[in-house]
Amino acid sequence: MALLTVENLGIGYQTAKGLLKAVDGVNFTLEPGHSLGLVGESGCGKTTIGMALMGLLPPNGRITEGRIILDGLEISAMSEDELRKVRWNKVSMIFQAAMNALNPVKRISAQMAEAIQVHRPEVDDHQAMERVEGLFNLVGLPLERLYDFPHQYSGGMKQRAIIAMALALNPKLVIADEPTTALDVIVQDQILKETKELQRQFNIGIIFISHDISIVADVCHQIGVMYAGQLVESGPAEEVFFNSQHPYTQALVRSFPTLAGPKTKLAPIPGEPPNLTGTIPGCRFCDRCPKDTASCKLDHPQWRQVGPGHHVLCDHC
Amino acid sequence: MSQSRENKTILQLERVSRFYRTRGNVFRGGGRLVVALNEINLSLRAGEIFGLVGESGSGKTTCGRLIVRLEEADQGCITLNGEDITHLKGKKLRDYRRQVQMVFQDPYQSLNPQVTIADSVAEPLITNKVGSPLDHMERVLKVLNTAGLSPAEDYVYRFPHQLSGGQRQRVAIARAIILEPSLLVADEPTSMLDASYSAQIFEILQGVRDKMGATIMFITHSMASARYLCDRIGVIYRGHLVEQGPAEQVINAPRHPYTKALIDATPKFGRAAEVPTYGTLLAAERPATTSAGCPFFRRCALAERLLCAGTYPPWHQVGPGQVALCHLLEDAAPAVNSG
Repeated sequence: MALLTVENLGIGYQTAKGLLKAVDGVNFTLEPGHSLGLVGESGCGKTTIGMALMGLLPPNGRITEGRIILDGLEISAMSEDELRKVRWNKVSMIFQAAMNALNPVKRISAQMAEAIQVHRPEVDDHQAMERVEGLFNLVGLPLERLYDFPHQYSGGMKQRAIIAMALALNPKLVIADEPTTALDVIVQDQILKETKELQRQFNIGIIFISHDISIVADVCHQIGVMYAGQLVESGPAEEVFFNSQHPYTQALVRSFPTLAGPKTKLAPIPGEPPNLTGTIPGCRFCDRCPKDTASCKLDHPQWRQVGPGHHVLCDHC
Repeated sequence: MSQSRENKTILQLERVSRFYRTRGNVFRGGGRLVVALNEINLSLRAGEIFGLVGESGSGKTTCGRLIVRLEEADQGCITLNGEDITHLKGKKLRDYRRQVQMVFQDPYQSLNPQVTIADSVAEPLITNKVGSPLDHMERVLKVLNTAGLSPAEDYVYRFPHQLSGGQRQRVAIARAIILEPSLLVADEPTSMLDASYSAQIFEILQGVRDKMGATIMFITHSMASARYLCDRIGVIYRGHLVEQGPAEQVINAPRHPYTKALIDATPKFGRAAEVPTYGTLLAAERPATTSAGCPFFRRCALAERLLCAGTYPPWHQVGPGQVALCHLLEDAAPAVNSG
């Protein structure tokens, strides 16, 4: 059984200018122990999906349609009390710039123990500290730094502490929202490798949210490319990366400099994504697409299969 | 990518050092001395894009700030077109700043939120008393177009919050090039932006070099960006320049263990087979024995000898125009310095 099923998910934000459809008609499934990378530029709805999976949408945001089913439980229909039992126990999140979210006046170990005890009230202080020590070993933090304050940690160490916290209660699903954006290349590389290893070891499902397709291609089994609130291409990482079909994915891949291969001219994607308030009749990428035809603007594009498990939302692929 | 048209040196850094003193306290007096830059030798040739690559804390931003004279070097000498600018003051410094401009890392902080784009971009003209107010607008429109914001008329009366990060960075570039500087220091101009916007910024920077003939120092932590954009690369580690040479050569045939480690850490995009893995980075730092040795000693997997720990490494000529600072390059001829 799939660990996570997202069916026809739509999420809207109520704004002064009307309902902004941040996510529209998104479908995907994630098998236990697999990783899915959601890629797209800022504002494409990838973080919104992450927040919805945690049941943490802001007050003006709500799920307008569709369902989220995690491990047989329908997250999208749960009350706040029920959600609280699921959160951190079954699904945890590494928030964007989370290293800055550590409480500056509490010792790291105390913050971690607190996260454990809030969700598992039966755990006593001693057991919680034992678990924290175990987590320190797991993510490669030295035990003599247990009682340090966050400002005594480097960026990479803070990120490790955050990852340890996300793993504290053995969740089945971890949502990592740009976990390495603020880090250096070398630290980023170490953290990505360790995350991959932890995932394999504990069979955790990971949803990896990033704007950097090169990182996602390196780390994930599956890639979902998002544009303006919709998933536009999804499939096995290698397929999507080396055999991308959607014009947006192709543009995204071409706009990245690489270390190897011929030094081709980068092709920037012209224009800006569309405004998501109101309705968009046709394909959302139309205005920036090299392949657009008159019919693209009129009708919703249809999903089509272009390879094993590889799907594209485009009428011209 | 065109090589630099002429080999004239425009900017030269000679043994430039910069120290910071950490804040001391009442009981211990003055703080510890931190070496941000240690005797850097660099020269930029007219019309080239030079990439300065390193991780955070390596001193690459400090180096940029010294060049635009937001800070003053503690030792050494910086010359622009042969003129010593290390300690310029007053009017001479103002004149210097017309020739040398900087694009900062974070476009969310570098633009004044209460000022329209037109006023932001025209500000350098006003402070430097260039032209009349009448032709300011014309120049602003022209420079916005150069920076890829077209039609420029759509942008001039907007405020920064109405623009995306990529557009803001383009405004910041427009503002930096409106005085037509001969040298532009771009400090990680794409690190705060979506990766998909970087290509646009690269294109604009190339345009600034090709059309305006400016020399650019591009500060970055990404080897892949440096490979794409730069003619030459300098790799900096904890304030020490460790390798320098033509971009393609440094990336395809790196000789310093730290350069190799940076290449190892770059996501390979599924092309790992084409780039060798060097494995020169030590998993756990080893304790430093003395401060006299190689700056990379503590993290270098190749270093084991007393030599590395005890003496500062010499420069070696490792290829045409490529030099590296390492003891373990016995096959290479010694070089005087990196500049």
